Amino acid sequence: MKFLAFLTLFIANIAFGANTFFCNPELEALPILDGGRLKPLYVTAEDSIKFLAGKKKVDGLTRTQIYCLLSLKSLVPMKDFDISRKIEHVKVIELLGNTSLTYSQLKENSKEIRMEYFKNKDKSSYKNALEKILRQITLYNKITSGEHWQLPKNVEGKFEWMPFGSYFSEKDFNMGPELVYDILLKAKKDFISSNGDKYLFELKFLKWNLPSWALLSTALALISLVLFKKVGVGLTLSAFTFLIQIILMAGRTYISERAPVTNMYETVMFSGFGSLFLGGIIGWFLKEKIYLYLGLGYNMLTLLMMNFATGLISASISPLVPVLRDNFWLSTHVTSVVLSYGALALSWILANTTLIKKAFFTLSSKEEVYYSKIIYNCLKFGTVTLFFGIMLGGVWADYSWGRFWGWDPKETWSLIVFCIYMAILHGKYTSWIPNKVFIPLVALAFLSVMMAWFGVNYILAAGLHSYGFSQGGALFLGIFFLVQILLLVITTLKTKLFKFSN
Amino acid sequence: MKTSFFTKFEKTVGGLKFAVTIILIFSAFMVAGTFIESSGGADFANRLIYKRWPFMGIQFLMFLSILFAAFLRLPPKKRLYGFYVIHSGLILLGIGSFITWNSGVDGSIALTQNDPNRRVELNEDIISIHDMNNGTVYNKILPYRAFPTKLNDEIKGIKVKEFLPFSENKLDWKKTKQKYASASYLLFNDNMSQDFTLSLHPQAKEFQSTLKMGKLNLHFLPSALGRCFAKPSKSKLIIWNIETKTCFTPEEKKVPLKKTKKGSRFLALPTKVTGSDTIISFFPDFSPIPLDEKLQANRNSPYRILSKQLFEEKPHLFLFGNKLSYYADGAWESEDMGDGAVSLPWMGFELKLIKHTTDEIPIFVPYFTTPIQKGGKLEKGGQKAVLVEYAGEEYWVTDKAPVTLLAGDKKMMLNVGKSSFLLPFEFTLTRFKMDTNPGTMDPASYESFVRLFTPDGPSPHHIYMNNPLKHSGFTFYQASYFQDNNGGYGTVLSVNIDPGRTLKYLGSLLVILGSIWHFVIRSEFFSRRRKLAGVHV
Repeated sequence: MKFLAFLTLFIANIAFGANTFFCNPELEALPILDGGRLKPLYVTAEDSIKFLAGKKKVDGLTRTQIYCLLSLKSLVPMKDFDISRKIEHVKVIELLGNTSLTYSQLKENSKEIRMEYFKNKDKSSYKNALEKILRQITLYNKITSGEHWQLPKNVEGKFEWMPFGSYFSEKDFNMGPELVYDILLKAKKDFISSNGDKYLFELKFLKWNLPSWALLSTALALISLVLFKKVGVGLTLSAFTFLIQIILMAGRTYISERAPVTNMYETVMFSGFGSLFLGGIIGWFLKEKIYLYLGLGYNMLTLLMMNFATGLISASISPLVPVLRDNFWLSTHVTSVVLSYGALALSWILANTTLIKKAFFTLSSKEEVYYSKIIYNCLKFGTVTLFFGIMLGGVWADYSWGRFWGWDPKETWSLIVFCIYMAILHGKYTSWIPNKVFIPLVALAFLSVMMAWFGVNYILAAGLHSYGFSQGGALFLGIFFLVQILLLVITTLKTKLFKFSN
Repeated sequence: MKTSFFTKFEKTVGGLKFAVTIILIFSAFMVAGTFIESSGGADFANRLIYKRWPFMGIQFLMFLSILFAAFLRLPPKKRLYGFYVIHSGLILLGIGSFITWNSGVDGSIALTQNDPNRRVELNEDIISIHDMNNGTVYNKILPYRAFPTKLNDEIKGIKVKEFLPFSENKLDWKKTKQKYASASYLLFNDNMSQDFTLSLHPQAKEFQSTLKMGKLNLHFLPSALGRCFAKPSKSKLIIWNIETKTCFTPEEKKVPLKKTKKGSRFLALPTKVTGSDTIISFFPDFSPIPLDEKLQANRNSPYRILSKQLFEEKPHLFLFGNKLSYYADGAWESEDMGDGAVSLPWMGFELKLIKHTTDEIPIFVPYFTTPIQKGGKLEKGGQKAVLVEYAGEEYWVTDKAPVTLLAGDKKMMLNVGKSSFLLPFEFTLTRFKMDTNPGTMDPASYESFVRLFTPDGPSPHHIYMNNPLKHSGFTFYQASYFQDNNGGYGTVLSVNIDPGRTLKYLGSLLVILGSIWHFVIRSEFFSRRRKLAGVHV
């Protein structure tokens, strides 16, 4: 009986002339329960379809429409509609015999993929690629079985979440797609009248695309500082960038109801913001443009990561593990540590700029002394803030886990960073380390920050801070380390060669 | 004037070059520790690096460096006030940490619902020897090492010879006078391979005669039964004498198989067949045990019956040393394994006999292995083992398998575990609550509702993440949870006494204030501001 009802809908839709049924882009404002959180359908559709297909649109359909149509496969026979996935790993291409397969085809091969996955006991890029495909197939199955899309249904005055696959009655489907669409809109309206429309803010927020605007504004600020002698334009654009990022962080805080420093995306975002803030404040007080350059430069790097390295750092907002559910400690400990990384990043950028200038352009000894002082100032802010963050972390750990210090890798690496910079500062303080050694050391020391920040999550992946662990990223870190070391070697050799030839 | 050794020592240790060197050595140790923890787990890293004397020695030298650096810059100078505050803070941090290390308590207590407990488990490994005759328990603390340690201790006639902090078991065979069959096999197909050992020996406590591997059920039976399995038999019944280790089918002895009014099969073995005084009856589809004349189960009888029909629905593999039998495609198959592998009718599996013996008994012997951690769990090396010698025989005691030693009328139970102490009050878990994130199984919070029993009476308390309970100098933190045997949840609370806490907090505060004073307030930052404001610097 149910099949006949669905067939009726199917035929009615063909007669209607639309192959999207009721899957209109307007559905993006529907409330959905996904990943333990209430959000607009747009967010789930964006995350899911991006994970499955990577593209923004398929055959002119938005991700929301694709998500809706895939979910509809649980109720209506739609063999012709499917999404495909590009296969990139050479061995996987060999296994599956194609560089692009639809998910239906991948499903047919899932047993083979699973056997191949379990056959390969050692970790490898091949095994990781197979694992990713298996996760994608699992998600695809969940969506097409109608289980993934959880819709609110009013049951005797109380809202319950029901999967799409069992949401509609036969009577509903017999009425045709337009009326099914009305049912969905009514469900949204009823939900909002009972629970409010706070969740819709996330839809607007994402559509504002603030990270892209912040990146553009930062780039323009940097360009104007270079082009114009007077700093007015650059300062204005910097202030505009600052404002955009405040709105970005405030928006995430409003949506997640916690400080925006709980995953890699947010810490990258906050460190860029923090360095811009520090650069701006210090530059303003000391009337030195260079601090603003540094702040904008590092902020630009972080914004580039936020906009383009989305495979490495995901912008998704997820519920927190129990131990992190304390806004006071999140707002103090984590923000201090991340802010310190921002301050140390300022020193890193200037150190590298100085090395390049010295090796490939001209750098007078007066300039070298001047830049060293600025780097030294940045280090001071960075180390004090870092120690503050480490101590707050110790107090929080004492409060949560019953011990002030436990040699957990994240804690230990933050202490390693502190020790390395303290060793440099001590050496600089007594002039035991001259400027020509100090500057390369500062550039090199930032690798410890990257190790503490990214390396613990991507390479070590051990310890009580396990909630911060991420997939992938070892390649990014490896390239970062290689480029930095190469730069040091090249600039050192160039400088020595230049001295020798003179 | 000749400078004294102490002055030279003070100048060296208090100097900046020494400080930078010791900081870098300290950092190198920590870097190594984090990588070791990542691959081998926190316990291995602690035993190898963090809680070993070399690392502690480095920390002590750092402490001296900080102390002497301050002394060398006395009498106090105004420009160094921030520096003195920083170093005082670091010294207090060091002292507080030492006090915590020396006299602090760090343990855990597991509570199941409505089951009072006051035992707190600590981190020290111990071997406990329980004299079952008089109830006395002797504990010996095992060394906190990362690698195997030879010991030379004796407790109540038991020699404690070696301790393996991380071990795995390997299969070994020990000579035995009692003749019971044991065998090792290898089951494999294109995607997996698994070896397993089965034994009929009563002393082979770590090995069973049956095993379930996924959907496949394996049964290890005496070799003599293999002959009867191979015989064609309409009734598909085998009668087995456990004393004489002989078997026969009803068809062989011409014993008729009858049916009750309700259709249940039964047969009666006549006395001429069994050689006993009474008739032995069986309802083979209900029980392998015979019934006496009063239709009561006669467990003293040496006879048992096996109905092959019961094993035709699901995959069952019967192993008789180098012979095997199984039911497939409507018939019972029996095969001789020989030296090669035999193909099985399920999932492309093949089976190969590795060893079959009646003179030896399989045992697990621990061997040391460097631990391997993956995904936060120890995949290898999670077992602790102690080698003991008693009455001329060596035994391995592990934390997974206690050992009972008998010598004459003396009975001793040996166990490897953690040291513990009893709280001066009792705890009971009244309820464990775990909230999940809506629509998922991920925990959003876990909370323990406990009742404390003190001389002043019982009192209820609520412990959850970031909300510990403080009582009688102890602090109890929500650490984790587990599922108990009844399907409910138990809780694990971390128990802590930190006598150095105040000093550590005070020291941290001083370091921060001193840093702000030394680095920021007195820095060029403010001198430049003053300059810009026209203030004479």
